[in-house]
Formats: sequence, structure tokens, C-alpha cells
Amino acid sequence: MKKKIIGLVLLILVMAAVAIIYFLQGSRPRISTVDGYTGGEKIGFLEDEEVRSILEERYGLDVDYARAGSLDMMTADMDGMDYLFPSSTIAEEYYEDLYGSPDQSEIILNTPIVLYTHQIVLDAFEKQGLITTDGTASYIDMAGLVELIQKGTSWADIGLSELYGNISVDTTDPSSSNSGNMFAALLANVLNRGTTLTAENLPSILPQLQDIFGKLGYMETSSSDLFSQFLRMGVGAKPIIAGYESQMIEYAALYPDEYDAIRDDVVMLYPTPTVWSTHVLIALDDNGRQLITGLLDEDIQNIAWQKHGFRTGNYSSISDSSSLKADGVAPSITQVTQVPSYDVMKVIIEQLK
Amino acid sequence: MKKKFTVFLLIFSVLLTAAGCSISPGTSEQPDDSAFSAGNSGTIIRILSGSENQELEDIISDCAAQAGVRVEMDYKGSVDIMRELQGGAEDYDAVWPASSIWVSMGDDHHLIKHSQSISITPVVFGIRQSLARDLGFTEGDVSVKDILTVIQNGQMTFCMTSATQSNSGASAYIGFLYALLGKQEGLTAQDLENEQLRTQIRDLLSGVERSSGSSDWLKDLFLNGNYDAMVNYECLIIDANQQLIARGEEPLQVIYPYDGLSIADSPLGYVDHGDSGKEDAFLAFQEQLLSPETQQAIEATGRRITASGVSEANRDVFDPDWGIDTERILSPIQMPEAGVLMDALNMYQTSFKKPSLNIYCLDFSGSMSGEGEEQLKEAMSQILIQENAAENFLQANEGEVNIVIIFNSDVVDVFTAADDSDTALQTLYDQISACSPGGGTDIYAAAAEAYRLAAGYDLSEYTPAVILMTDGQSRNNHHTFQDAVQEYGSDIPVFSITFGDADPSQLEELADETDARVFDGTKDLTEAFRSVKGYN
Repeated sequence: MKKKIIGLVLLILVMAAVAIIYFLQGSRPRISTVDGYTGGEKIGFLEDEEVRSILEERYGLDVDYARAGSLDMMTADMDGMDYLFPSSTIAEEYYEDLYGSPDQSEIILNTPIVLYTHQIVLDAFEKQGLITTDGTASYIDMAGLVELIQKGTSWADIGLSELYGNISVDTTDPSSSNSGNMFAALLANVLNRGTTLTAENLPSILPQLQDIFGKLGYMETSSSDLFSQFLRMGVGAKPIIAGYESQMIEYAALYPDEYDAIRDDVVMLYPTPTVWSTHVLIALDDNGRQLITGLLDEDIQNIAWQKHGFRTGNYSSISDSSSLKADGVAPSITQVTQVPSYDVMKVIIEQLK
Repeated sequence: MKKKFTVFLLIFSVLLTAAGCSISPGTSEQPDDSAFSAGNSGTIIRILSGSENQELEDIISDCAAQAGVRVEMDYKGSVDIMRELQGGAEDYDAVWPASSIWVSMGDDHHLIKHSQSISITPVVFGIRQSLARDLGFTEGDVSVKDILTVIQNGQMTFCMTSATQSNSGASAYIGFLYALLGKQEGLTAQDLENEQLRTQIRDLLSGVERSSGSSDWLKDLFLNGNYDAMVNYECLIIDANQQLIARGEEPLQVIYPYDGLSIADSPLGYVDHGDSGKEDAFLAFQEQLLSPETQQAIEATGRRITASGVSEANRDVFDPDWGIDTERILSPIQMPEAGVLMDALNMYQTSFKKPSLNIYCLDFSGSMSGEGEEQLKEAMSQILIQENAAENFLQANEGEVNIVIIFNSDVVDVFTAADDSDTALQTLYDQISACSPGGGTDIYAAAAEAYRLAAGYDLSEYTPAVILMTDGQSRNNHHTFQDAVQEYGSDIPVFSITFGDADPSQLEELADETDARVFDGTKDLTEAFRSVKGYN
């Protein structure tokens, strides 16, 4: 009984303390919480303490998020959400298709699609004549890689009998996640002899795409999960994955010790050609619009490149890569094809489901 | 100045809150009824975990203490964890299944954040070493095909977990399908319709001596019984071997079938229900689990912490004399796409696995009147009415036999479903539904009757189980049951579900004698019936 009374007294004290804090905070500038959906690859950026404090101090914003694939989020429950932060302009066009023009939308970040692999795979590809280098950056001939995949070449055929099965690139599900979607766009262009696939050529390319994706089996729905599985489970589990350039730059910047342990083994390969993943913020209300302004803050844009690997500003910007911890980052991204139009991608997404 | 004061007040109030919790149990939350809990104070994190993490309980305790949080664990199979997530996982703050595929397939509501792999371990075959040697499995590479051949020739039987409840069973089963099809990738829905495949997989699964809903319990079952082989995680085979060696028995040879290997990456993910205090507590706990010291301790239990080999300090744990190979590149098979995987699991449940012979013994003594009776009937409707059962992959399989014994101090009634059809099972449910409670309790008479009825079937064709639910203490008529065991001489497991004031000691005794286990139905009777059905 006595204990209960003590408990009750303490409870009252706590409530009093809470009330005082509430009162004191009432006199400070109001902080609005902005909530929305984002792709997994930007979570490190949105959780960055520096980014958060700039947003809070300069713009009065406290950002929360739920993780969702770029396309999935367009049909997710938007009740109480202020923004959508997908990773492509295709997703934005999908939004427009469903709901009409958004309140406001703005490109915040850019990153090219790259392939991640391990040293033994790089060596085997080199023997196949698929690799060129420029400085420390390595480039892979996509047409050659696609040919190996289409012919059903096994790993053993190119000298990697330690690996089970056929050569393939693991990707996220193109119907729900952006990195997979962009990789499908890239494959479509490569199959279309390196030029942007149009509606006219779609009927001849689509079956080939379906064949390649049909052999992939289960696909992760988040690029961040796929990337961490790539790092964690070794060359046997994920010999090659498709991902964003930003992922390795961020990993190296945020986890330098862990990066040192793997830097001799993991390799970033720039596909020739590649495609840009364009991270667009779609504002659903006024809070969302505030967030656009905040994220375009010069200091935040700088942090986005240095710590999270997102190229910012000008679309084809040349960023200084020498200050980055990650190896093999290309100074500029030049061999780029344009992602097919939304109408074409819509069919591809639909047919790859 | 103002800021400092706020901080002071915050700290003060947090301290008060913490103190308030520890000295006034009258105001604390619901009683802790989880399977395992650790840490005394701090924010509570409720984790739904695969049973293979039971071995890590000491490590989890240390991490909870260091992070200043209280961890409460419940154990379920990974496939069940996926379904819990699909349903919103209201009762949990985190999930920790065996493999991330179940998280990404279950996260329909986008609730999962901060998912990180805690350790990795491959799913392998463990075969009694002398038998593995005789079969020529200790030299060179072994394929699933090689293993299937010896099973088909009757040279080996094995145990595996249920593919529709547990990750290790599901992974092994998918490996079997690929091997039988001679395919390396891209399993399709059409493949599953292939008649030859269907015959072969049925044949193969008929070699399954015992099944279980969870990997850790499969290991225990193996250690208590006399079996040739099991499909399980490398880390649990290591654990089994340590116990076998301690008992002076031969260990299991670990086989990594190159065309049927899979890897469990043990992801621990936060389930976001919008409570930032929980999120911080979760992250503090997860950080402890991933700290270098803890990772070393986890490796010492036979789990791997990197894909490339094992640290010097723990090399002894991964004994090469058991066939454990830490240098080999673990190259797993591909999991089929989500739709095909679900189809494959449904087919396992309904038509591929060995038919079950379920004998339910249901306590309709007087004390079950009212709520007990209602709950029991509700539970049976979840199991027997096929529409409900399908939601949890618990549908009756082809050729399944279902018998219900209604008992009090005597056997009151026996109902047998005419066949495995939906209507026959509905009728069986209706018969149960029409019963009313009365009289005393004698579990032994009911169990003996179950054994007598089972003797009428060719048990090699079935996976038999007695599923006994009771709410009371029995007159001690243990000899009645022992006489039945003597007379019918079989080893059908007697799984028990406790309810109300049931005496677990009597049920534990029955479970021990028959290599079975006791489930707690006091919290949720339906859930207990579902779990036990997962074992059969």
C-alpha cells in the first residue's frame, strides 16, 4: 500500500515536470514534424544528425519517414503523410498519372545505377574482356554482360566453379522498387542497341526482358536490404547486384572501419552505358513544400555528396571524388542513356510483375 | 539558461519515471507472459523471434542489461513471423526471423525499419557420421540428388521442420524441388504442376521420420530419439554435436549440398508503431548485439559473423572433423519469386507432405463450462474449417485422418472425419460443437483410447500425433496409458495443450515418454492449437 502511495506521488511529480517542460517549449519556435515515404537508400541521409539539425534550426522541421519502394509508395496509404520521396522521375510521372500534378515537386538528389561485385568476379569478367578502367574507376560493357546472361552462361563457364548457377545480376523487384526499375530501364536500352527504348521497339525487347527477369527468382523489395545482404553474405550469395553509386560512398563514409575490412574485395562497376536515378521530392502539403526548401539548402546538399554519395546540383554535375573515402568513384558520369518514357516503363513494370 | 533547465527537468523526469516503474509494480503494464525475458528495467521491447535464437538467450540478457532495456521474446517459426507481420504485428516491437526473405515478404504495411543481419548460418544436412561414411558422403561434393537417392533407396530417413512453419524446412524443401527438376533457377508455377515432380517429392517427403514447427525443437527431438539425419542450421548441428560428444555418442557429419544450399541471415528489424522511445531502445539493444564483443560471443555459439571464414578465437567451435568447412564459399540456391514460393508452400501443406493422422483428445469435463468451452470450440473451428486453416497454412493434406475423442473421466464420444474433404471436416467440427461439458477428468483413459484407435492404421503411411487438450488435474491413472503403450507398442507423440488449471507436470511426463512437447494454451488456446498443428 505504502509503495503504491509513493508510486502515485512520483507519478504526480512526473506529470508536473512534463507540464513545465511543455510550457517552456511553448515559447520556442514551433517545430513541425513532416512524415512521408522514402526509398531505403535515402534513410542514412534522412537520419544524418547534421542534416536533421540544419532542418530543425533553419527550417523548423523534424523529419520522420516510413520506408517504401518508389512505386509502392504511390499507392500506399497517404493519410497523415506530407511528402513522397521516390527515386525516379518515372515514379513522379506515375503519381501524376494517378492523382494529377502534385502541389510541388523538385529534384533533390541524383545518383547513377552501378553494379557491385567482388574481386574474383571482376577478374573473371576482365578475362572475358568486359572491363575497362579510367583512373581508379572500372567500367563494364553492358552489351557483353547481357549477352553472357542471355546465353545462360554458368559461373563455372567463366572460371568460377565456386559459384553455383548461371551468371545473373541480383536486383530489387522492378515492379515495387526503384533500383530494380532503373536496372530494367537500363537493360531495355542496352537490348535496344544502347539507345532509349521507344514504344515502337517495345514488343521485340519485352520478351527478352521477361526472360532475364524470369530467371531471377525472389527479388528483394528494398535496395538498402539488397546492398546490406551483398555486403554481409559474401560472393557466394550475391555475386553481382545492381544498386546506386551513392550506397558504397555512403557506406565508406559512415562505416570507415567496416569499409576497410572489405575494400579489397568489393568492387563498384559503372555500366556502360548507365542511367540516372533522380530522387524527386513530391510535396503533398505545406509541410512537404517546406521540406523541399530545406533539403535544397547548400550545406545539406554538400553533406548529401560527401557523406551519402548523392550527386547534387546540376544534372550531369562533376563532383570532386578525391575527398571521398570510397575507392573507384568516377569523377563524372558521362555515358548515360535516358530512361524510357513513362508510357514505355509502365508496360515494362506491368509485364515484369 | 532556459535550455539547461529544460534538460535538467527532462533528466529529472526520466529518473522519476524509471524509479516509479521499479518501486510500484501496481502501476506497471500487463504481466510479462513471454517465453523469455531479459533486463529488469527500461523500455520494453517485445521481439517475435525464430526459435533458433533461444540458444542466444544469455547473450541477449547481457545486451539488454548493457543497453538498459527490457527484452521480451516470443518464439515462432519464420513463416509464422511473416504472417504476423502481414497482420500488422501489433503485439511486437521487433521481429527476428531466420531469413530476411520472410521480412520482405511480410512487410506489406511498411512497418520494418533498421533491419540488420545479426549472424549467418547455412541450412545443411547433418547425418550420423558412420552412416555418412558408409554412404560415401564424407569425400568430395555431395548434391541434393545424391541425398535423395539414398532416401529413395531406403538407406536413410531424416527429420526436417515443417516447410510451412519454419525457414529451415522451407529452404530445404525448395532445394529439393530444384534438385528434382534439375533446374538451377527460375522455379515457376508450371514446374509445380509437373506430375513427375509431384510423385518424386511425395516419395521423398515420405522419408521424413518426424517433422516439427521449429528448428531448435527439431534438434532436441533428434537428440532424444534415434534418427539417421536432420536438415537444420549449421549452428544447431554444432550444438547437437557438442551434446552428442558430451554423451559419448557419434556426432553428425555436416553436408553442404552444392545444389540445395541456403543461408539464414537472421535479420533483427524494428516494427514501427510510432513510438520513438521504443525505437531508441531498440537501436540501443541492436547496437549491443552488433558490437565486436557480442559478435565474438555469437560466433562462439557456432553462428558465423562474416561470410569469409571464422575468427581465430572461435576456430575450435567449427570442427573440421564434423565436415564443417569455413573456407568454402557458401553459394546458395535462388529462392523462387514470392507468388511461386507461396504456391509451393501451399502444395507442401495440402498434397506433398506425408498425410497426418491427428487424434484430438478434447477435455469436456464440467470445469470447461462457459468460457473454456467457447474457446475450445473457437480453436477447433480455426483448425478444422478449411477456409480458416488456409490462412495459416494449416489445411488438411491429402489422405489426412482426423479423429476426435471427447472425454471427461471417461471417453464420452469418438468422432472420425469421413475423409480429408472440407465438408467432412466441417461435419467433424459440427459434432464437436454440439457437445456439452460435464463430469471429471482423466487424460490417461483418453490417451490410451487414442493409441488403441491409431493401431488400426498403417502408421508408416502417416505422420501420427495425439493432440490432447485439458484444463484440469487427472486422477492418477497413468498405468492405463502405459498399458496401452505396452499393448500397441508404438511411439506416437502425445502433444498436450494446457488450459485453465491444467497440471503441466502430468502432461510433461506424457510428452517426455513420447518425444513430444507441451504447449501453453492459457493465453491463447487457438494459437496453441495452431502451433501444435504445425508439428504435424
